[in-house]
Amino acid sequence: MSQRQLAMVMDLNKCIGCQTCTVACKTQWTNRNGREYMYWNNVETYPGDGYPKKWMELGGGFDQNGDLQPGIIPNIEADYGVPWDYNYDSLAHQNLIDGKPEAGWRPETSPTWGPNWDEDEGAGEFPNDNYFFYLPRICNHCSNPGCLSACPRDAIFKREEDGVVLVDLDRCQGYRYCIAGCPYKKIYFNPKISKSEKCILCFPRIEQGLPPACAQSCVGRIRFVGFLDDEEGQVYKLVHKYKVALPLRPDYGTQPNVYYIPPVDTPPKFDENGRIIEGSERVPIEELEKLFGPAVHDAIKTIKEEREKRKKTGKSELMDILIAYQHKDMFRLDHNYYAQVAKRKGMKPLPLVDERYVAGKYTKADAITSFKVQA
Amino acid sequence: MKRVATMTLSLGVLCAAYGANVVKAVKVRSLHGLRCGAYLVRKYAHFTPVVLYPQTTLHLNDKKANELNKDAKAIVAKVAAFTDGKKVAIIVHWPDRSKDIYKGYKSDSYPDGFAVQFAANATNPQKLPYIGMGSDGRAVEIFLRKAYGQSVYEPNGNGDVAHQVNPHNTDYFGKELKKFEKEVQKLGVRPYARAFVSEGFRSMTEIKDGSVTWRSDMCYNTKRHIWGGMVIKPIDDAYSKAAKNELAIAVAVWDGKELQRDGLKRLSSWIAVKLPHAKNRALEKVVSEKVRGDVAEGKKQFAANCASCHNDKDFHNAPIYMAPDLSNVGGQATAAYLRESILDPNAVVVPGYNRNQHPSYAWYNLKNGKRVSIMPSFSYLDAKVVNDIVAYLQTQKAEVAK
Repeated sequence: MSQRQLAMVMDLNKCIGCQTCTVACKTQWTNRNGREYMYWNNVETYPGDGYPKKWMELGGGFDQNGDLQPGIIPNIEADYGVPWDYNYDSLAHQNLIDGKPEAGWRPETSPTWGPNWDEDEGAGEFPNDNYFFYLPRICNHCSNPGCLSACPRDAIFKREEDGVVLVDLDRCQGYRYCIAGCPYKKIYFNPKISKSEKCILCFPRIEQGLPPACAQSCVGRIRFVGFLDDEEGQVYKLVHKYKVALPLRPDYGTQPNVYYIPPVDTPPKFDENGRIIEGSERVPIEELEKLFGPAVHDAIKTIKEEREKRKKTGKSELMDILIAYQHKDMFRLDHNYYAQVAKRKGMKPLPLVDERYVAGKYTKADAITSFKVQA
Repeated sequence: MKRVATMTLSLGVLCAAYGANVVKAVKVRSLHGLRCGAYLVRKYAHFTPVVLYPQTTLHLNDKKANELNKDAKAIVAKVAAFTDGKKVAIIVHWPDRSKDIYKGYKSDSYPDGFAVQFAANATNPQKLPYIGMGSDGRAVEIFLRKAYGQSVYEPNGNGDVAHQVNPHNTDYFGKELKKFEKEVQKLGVRPYARAFVSEGFRSMTEIKDGSVTWRSDMCYNTKRHIWGGMVIKPIDDAYSKAAKNELAIAVAVWDGKELQRDGLKRLSSWIAVKLPHAKNRALEKVVSEKVRGDVAEGKKQFAANCASCHNDKDFHNAPIYMAPDLSNVGGQATAAYLRESILDPNAVVVPGYNRNQHPSYAWYNLKNGKRVSIMPSFSYLDAKVVNDIVAYLQTQKAEVAK
């Protein structure tokens, strides 16, 4: 356990699966140097096999006794999907007059799997009871990380100041037990450097007052970022005050720090004659219970109650938070805190890039005067 | 190859029986340019058979690898040494049916490889480092070579940021792009050869500051299905030194086909390398000591005193994470180490699992920053009982593969 824990909340009711977060992450971190196949952030369709393929069945995590469970390391081609290129060259150089020109772009390989391979397929029978929702996933920066526990080299550590889980690339020797140990399969092997790499929660951005790229770019404004002990923060309120944000697969025992607000009031099913079945919900509660544990019932109940309250009285703090009015309230990155940590370590605090998101337990709101980008 | 004719061959009489683990270094004039499949090696190397036993002390968490290595057998490698007086070359030949080279863009395949480790200090052969990893205050220097068919890159590209961008993100096309890609390739490191210094589990640290000059080579004989490996290092360097013209070494090999890496490997016991003029026989005695004792009585005593925590080939009563699994301890540990561990468990404390991994089974407690083993001393047992237990433990090893 670290001293403080930075956490993220994702509101699944608002995720439209647009992959803007995925692209933001990819262009920021994983489009080069052996990371091409990795998606530190991905958005998958649930129910579905996900990314990597069938990750929930690949083991890892802890059992009831707290013992790490063995796991399986996915294969790049079969389970992650190799990034392929198209036949640009042959299209560009073909003889259009004499030869038999081939039409259209084709992948240069014959892929059998890739991220989002089963996008929007979902489960159930169309149109009566089919359903799906989007599940954005990043590293959970767990309080009891499976990857950290599995590493025989002590190459993975949890940052004391904010609980971000990182790989020490000097110590890592590419054994990949971490991949087997992580039940979310959110740590990846980089074949080019022969070491493991993973989501870093954009810590270089956070230290300069910028939220993680996935969160800032989210067009649905589904992501909240802040410290779990910052009682004024929306993350604290969603996780601890209202208890509507829940960790994914808490049964894995890793104590994740990315929380999800479960889908509430999903559309009703149709009967054989195409009529609405009143009071029915397309997303089975059992599926949500599998993903988020038994606490999902209370979370859904709270959200429904607060919504009713809002309808009747016009007031509900929870609804205000979930509407996500202002980025500056959704992201509380506590810049003074990072500055203090840097000073304590004898390092120079990094200059602020953006002043909008710096509030936090150790950074009072009135410290922020205006938005300005520093030269 | 003229120097071959002038080299002096030391033809000591060596016991060739398995377990002897004594290698006599052949004196040559120069090791310059020596490769692992060289004529010099084939003609003049004095090979000693050394059995390499599967590492089973810890259970690792890769499901597929565990299945493949469940009934792993021991293999017989051959070890030879050359010296030119300043440097020593260790040559290892080991059988491996498949040549597994890491190549391409793969997440779940592993190369064959080998490592040679040197005890930092072998002056007291009774207190050699913990085999494989070293131990507190008893360091080892490890030279690792893996069969990579491609370059490996440093994570930071040695600070060259400009060549770490995605080629699609540059504004180069055609020839310029090819030139850029060539520059990128220049940052690659070949071969995959690394030196480490280690004082016990998880303390292994790569020597990256160039403070040791060494080289290695690997070659595969496709007809006989035998890998050859060679490490050449100074006899004395900053991390390990010869003691009275003797070196204590150990050899580990990895089989990529069995998904082996890290703890999943085959490991020898300590091997005494006798340099020319080595007169002392202390190390030799320690590495080849076969305890004479009552094995059946030792087994009974093991059941009474040890089996509640330790599993081995005969006993499986303890929870598997409780304590080191001793199934191959007879093949990898010297009798001196076994004796020491029974009488003084704190002499070498094996940290074992990551403490988060199996939190109910801590192998040690921390007292004033020092690891104190949870195993009590069994020094109250009488000498014969200890001797019988050690004799029994020496039988704890996997069969040798045919």
